[in-house]
Amino acid sequence: MKILLVDDDPVFAAALVEELTGFGHALAVAEDGRAGLAAIDQDAYDAVVLDRMMPRVDGIALLERLRGDARSIPVIMLSARGQSDDKIAGLAAGADDYVVKPVEAAELHARLQAVLRGRQWTQGSSDTLRAGDIVVSPSRFRAWRDDQPLDLAKLELKLLAELVRGAGTVLTRAMLIERVWGYDFEPDTNLVDVYIRRLRQKLTAAGGDDPIRTMRGVGYMLRG
Amino acid sequence: MRAPRSLRALTAIVVAALLATTVGTGAAIFTATHRTIVRLVDERIAAAAGAVAGEAGPRPTPVLPTPVLLRRLAALTRDRDTGDIGALLTDARGVAIGGNVTLRRRLPPGYASLRAGDGIKGLSAGRAYTRSVGDGRMLTMIAETEPFDDYGAARLRIYLIGFGSILLVVAIGLTGFSRLIARRIGAMRATAAAIVEGDLQRRVPTEGDGGPFDAQAEAFNAMLDRIAELMRGIAGVSSDIAHDLRSPLARLRGQLVQLERRAETPALREGLAAAIAQNDDILAMFAAILRIAEVEGGARRAGFADIDLSALAGEVSGMMAPVVEDGGRTLAVAALPPLPVRGDPQLLTQTLINLIGNATRHTPAGTRIVLAGGRRGTSGVLTLSDDGPGIADEDRALALRRFGRLDRSRSTAGHGLGLPLAAAIARLHGGALWLEDAAPGLRVVIEVPLA
Repeated sequence: MKILLVDDDPVFAAALVEELTGFGHALAVAEDGRAGLAAIDQDAYDAVVLDRMMPRVDGIALLERLRGDARSIPVIMLSARGQSDDKIAGLAAGADDYVVKPVEAAELHARLQAVLRGRQWTQGSSDTLRAGDIVVSPSRFRAWRDDQPLDLAKLELKLLAELVRGAGTVLTRAMLIERVWGYDFEPDTNLVDVYIRRLRQKLTAAGGDDPIRTMRGVGYMLRG
Repeated sequence: MRAPRSLRALTAIVVAALLATTVGTGAAIFTATHRTIVRLVDERIAAAAGAVAGEAGPRPTPVLPTPVLLRRLAALTRDRDTGDIGALLTDARGVAIGGNVTLRRRLPPGYASLRAGDGIKGLSAGRAYTRSVGDGRMLTMIAETEPFDDYGAARLRIYLIGFGSILLVVAIGLTGFSRLIARRIGAMRATAAAIVEGDLQRRVPTEGDGGPFDAQAEAFNAMLDRIAELMRGIAGVSSDIAHDLRSPLARLRGQLVQLERRAETPALREGLAAAIAQNDDILAMFAAILRIAEVEGGARRAGFADIDLSALAGEVSGMMAPVVEDGGRTLAVAALPPLPVRGDPQLLTQTLINLIGNATRHTPAGTRIVLAGGRRGTSGVLTLSDDGPGIADEDRALALRRFGRLDRSRSTAGHGLGLPLAAAIARLHGGALWLEDAAPGLRVVIEVPLA
């Protein structure tokens, strides 16, 4: 994936470039908002990782300019402080996702993948999600594996839908907490693991192998 | 004598002293005036008696015959200067033989006071002088001590009105003065109370009159500004440390995850997994410190919405039940009547998840956890009770303090900030959180004012 990182902190940027390169991305760095805008004009990127607080043109202003020009390039916003109003402002300005610094490369990688996949999903308007032999219909609150209906609780269904939507890519615990539970905090319990375990039991109850892979220390991935 | 300690005591002493001196002065003036009048009247009637009957005293005066006495008395009564003096001449048996007044009682020789009861027409208070005029006859001269009737009562009324109005003015002054002091001190006390309640922005109002109270208020406000500045400094430092350490910890975590993935022996993998878990604990602790700072900053109040605390609690307990059961405990829900409050659903959810997580983590397997809701006065109350080992009385306050982990819990996962964060969230909602003995076990009580 070709990514533009716009961040005025050279130490943070250098570390992130090195780590994301390890995940197979190609990165370019712009040290402030103005340079970021110039880079986006000159070159085509798959996604932008954008720091919120920067001298001259800051993250929000850059994003508003991009969206004002109807440029839909995926943007993940980075912020130093995870205050909830910051997050709302970032998403309102048109960010696809919002991450609080410090962010692990694995987390950012997972979110970049999810943002790109999310774009594909919104383009197709079908309500039914499919991954291998698993089918989920979020609007009808129903799910099937191998054409057999699954008896899932509401949260389990939301979790499965999220996994299916991101099938083939890693979903971190933080992403699942945000998207399935809708929390703006990470609860200090093994909430996600417990629900994954329940979901696994239900998915494999009628036979079949476990379609969910545990990515140790990072999160979970549904076989694509 | 010891100086009075309180303003009230000083006021009481001043009022009492003022009352005593006023009444004393009034009484002294009243008495002095009365004595002077009596002395002058006594001199006058004695002189009148002398004019009729000659000098009284040890030297015997010529004894005048009764007709002479009567003539002189008539002349006395006619005279303009002495026309108001009453006179009575009695014989040796006490029978009146002349004069222009009658008396109900026999007066002894010398001076006597007369009252309205003595039956002299037109006399309410007066003096009488009785002396012998020879042959057993007695002459009594009588004069009023009052320029008009009921003069004493009128004088008393005048004094009461005069001195009373002085006392009234002083009393009104003192009341106003103490009200003013009470108001200004009350403003200061209200500010201090608001600060204690957590409204650190409150300041004592000033009147702009440049008086001593304004000076006092300004000094107080300057002190509050300084305290706020120091607190911001401290909060900033802890937030900054928490924040700045998260970057290297996040990087360290990434490296540990990479290593774990490549680890070749199960022992190494296990060790690295433990290291990641510890790293996660530290990150969670810092997240909690930053969350507490965010909550205590108060900015989240702006996002308060009308919510039903019971509905939220029911939802969270349903969501947490699998987690609790996975840990071998049970979570039951008792009555949850509707509890409408103004609040932040995210923060209240986090509180309940924290508390249920705590109850699962710090109790033995098989513990029963019960969530219940109710009303207490104008507040909604949620309680989370367990029948585990509980917390000793003396340790409960410690458990609510930041990093106040109890020795027993140091071996278990967690960072000791769950309860302080929950307490901060309760305070943000204008409520409180405390721990009780559930006999056996621990009961956590969250109180939030009803909307």
